[in-house]
Amino acid sequence: MSFSPELVGQVENLWTRYPEKKAALIPAMHLIQKERDGWFSNETIVDTAELFGVPDMHVRGIVGFYDMFHATPVGRHVVRLCKTLTCKLCGAGELIKHVSTKYGVKNGETTADGRFTFKLFECLGHCTTAPMMLVDEEKHESLDIEALDGVLEGLK
Amino acid sequence: MTRETRVMLEYADDPAQKTLEGYRENGGYQALEKALREMSPDQVTAEVETSGLRGRGGAGFPTGRKWRFVPKTDKPKYLAVNADESEPGTCKDRQIMERDPHQLIEGSLLSCYAFGAKTAYIYVRGEYPHSIKALEDAIDEARAANLLGDKILGTDFCCDVWVHPGAGAYICGEETALLTSLEGNRGYPRIRPPFPAVEGLWHCPTIVNNVETIACVTHIIKRGGEWFSKLGCEGSTGTRLFCVSGHVKRPGVYEFECGKFTLRELIEGFCGGTLSGRPLKGVMPGGSSMPVLRADELDVTFDIESVQKAGSSLGSGAIMVFDDSVGAVGAAVNIAEFYSHESCGQCTPCREGSDWVRRMLLQFAAQDARDGDLDLLMDVTDKMDGTTICALAEALVWPVQSFVRKFRSEFEAAVRESAVGTATQ
Ligand SMILES: Cc1cc2nc3c(=O)[nH]c(=O)nc-3n(C[C@H](O)[C@H](O)[C@H](O)COP(=O)(O)O)c2cc1C
Ligand code: SF4
Ligand code: FES
Repeated sequence: MSFSPELVGQVENLWTRYPEKKAALIPAMHLIQKERDGWFSNETIVDTAELFGVPDMHVRGIVGFYDMFHATPVGRHVVRLCKTLTCKLCGAGELIKHVSTKYGVKNGETTADGRFTFKLFECLGHCTTAPMMLVDEEKHESLDIEALDGVLEGLK
Repeated sequence: MTRETRVMLEYADDPAQKTLEGYRENGGYQALEKALREMSPDQVTAEVETSGLRGRGGAGFPTGRKWRFVPKTDKPKYLAVNADESEPGTCKDRQIMERDPHQLIEGSLLSCYAFGAKTAYIYVRGEYPHSIKALEDAIDEARAANLLGDKILGTDFCCDVWVHPGAGAYICGEETALLTSLEGNRGYPRIRPPFPAVEGLWHCPTIVNNVETIACVTHIIKRGGEWFSKLGCEGSTGTRLFCVSGHVKRPGVYEFECGKFTLRELIEGFCGGTLSGRPLKGVMPGGSSMPVLRADELDVTFDIESVQKAGSSLGSGAIMVFDDSVGAVGAAVNIAEFYSHESCGQCTPCREGSDWVRRMLLQFAAQDARDGDLDLLMDVTDKMDGTTICALAEALVWPVQSFVRKFRSEFEAAVRESAVGTATQ
């Protein structure tokens, strides 16, 4: 399967910024992941490697190394909740427990209805308004259980 | 008295500051005009040296001196702005990128001019979509106004600035890992020497500086190195951003001059003390990779040297505060989990050691530890210190050892409780 012409255009544009194409790989993989339903299937890995002229294994290694790339299918949304020190001090532990009892998902799992994939993340850089979560690209700060439910229940 | 001195955040509360027009109204891009028309590149570097500016990424290396390491060669030179901001507790660079991004772009151009680079990459952690967007918008505006690109402001200076998103790996904040990642690889740190200033991106001289460091350059050129050097105190000149988080009444990102107050005044006075009103237990004054200070150790002047003398470090400017409801063992577990998860796996002591330490600490937490485990923990961490390619291993060792040393009785109690547990089984 080939990538959309828009995506290829965007990637070609990225290439002009670097002396070597490969440097655009990670920025491009964000765009690719979005176009391919939020994860890297084997086919997507092969397509990406071909587009960049690098071995499949190289792309596989990138997917494995970076937490924001997914090697398995994800739900319609990705929920990233911070579990690092400050957020823990400010109540993230209870939120994590609540998500697992109320929505039935633990770290890395997707809800049965496919609504969201739940990921525990390390410090998300919003420690002064902890606890914090990112839902796709939206941030939600100073969370408590009520606020968390408000966000998660509102997801389509 | 603890009070803020705002330089980088002077206009941060004004939403218009994000736009080129708003930024220019407040004197934006005057420093660039001045440098390109009146100063030689060498004079820009000299001004930064005069300012006493030290890197804000954690290590505090003098910025002007770093720039002088760039060899005079015909090879292309690069600036890589470190916006990976992932040290737990740190959320300061984001304030610059999201609220006043042009000062970072202007600082990047000035820095490139100083050491002869024509391209700057701002490596922003992937979990910062808002920072990425704010920077991209600002870059587009600046390009349209001929403030970057070819023949900037009609001079011979050509320079481009690009945003480069990462994808979620703490280690990419380490300067050599950042470069490996920027070239399109897994973020593995490299053995130094060669240092990046001599051999960095694509084997060319590359300066890696933190976002806040580069933002300071803008103000140094605008108002003079002399002016900057008079702010703060000797060894910690200028202003710095600090992120106070955890159990305090008034958490937040603040801009201070160092050397004017103690850590206690900052936390108990300016930040209002603990949120719960319970006694303070400890403070990590420079991110979670630095040793913890106990509540009785906080009467230390707040500057790089004094905090160092007290056995810790201002590190990345992240001040994490906890009250006495927090157990030392639990805190150490959380820290060890972070660093063992983020180890890139290249060096055996870090890869194996960090996981071993994490598992040992979990045993303390579960009251499943034995006599001798505490000595073993110290021994393993000692062997990780100084035996690896990058400083991530130490980022685990220092805080963990500090928790054991400073709250030893809690770890010993865990061993005792474990023994009771076994006896009653
Ligand atoms: C494990 C590790 C993580 C680091 N993370 C960051 C980071 O997120 N941001 C940063 O600016 N510096 C980070 N540093 C420090 C950089 O290696 C480097 O010293 C810094 O970017 C240099 O910029 P400065 O001189 O302006 O401080 C890290 C260092 C280590 C060892
Ligand atoms: S010390 Fe750890 S993070 Fe650094 S290079 Fe070695 S294994 Fe990787
Ligand atoms: S510790 Fe959670 S955002 Fe920093």
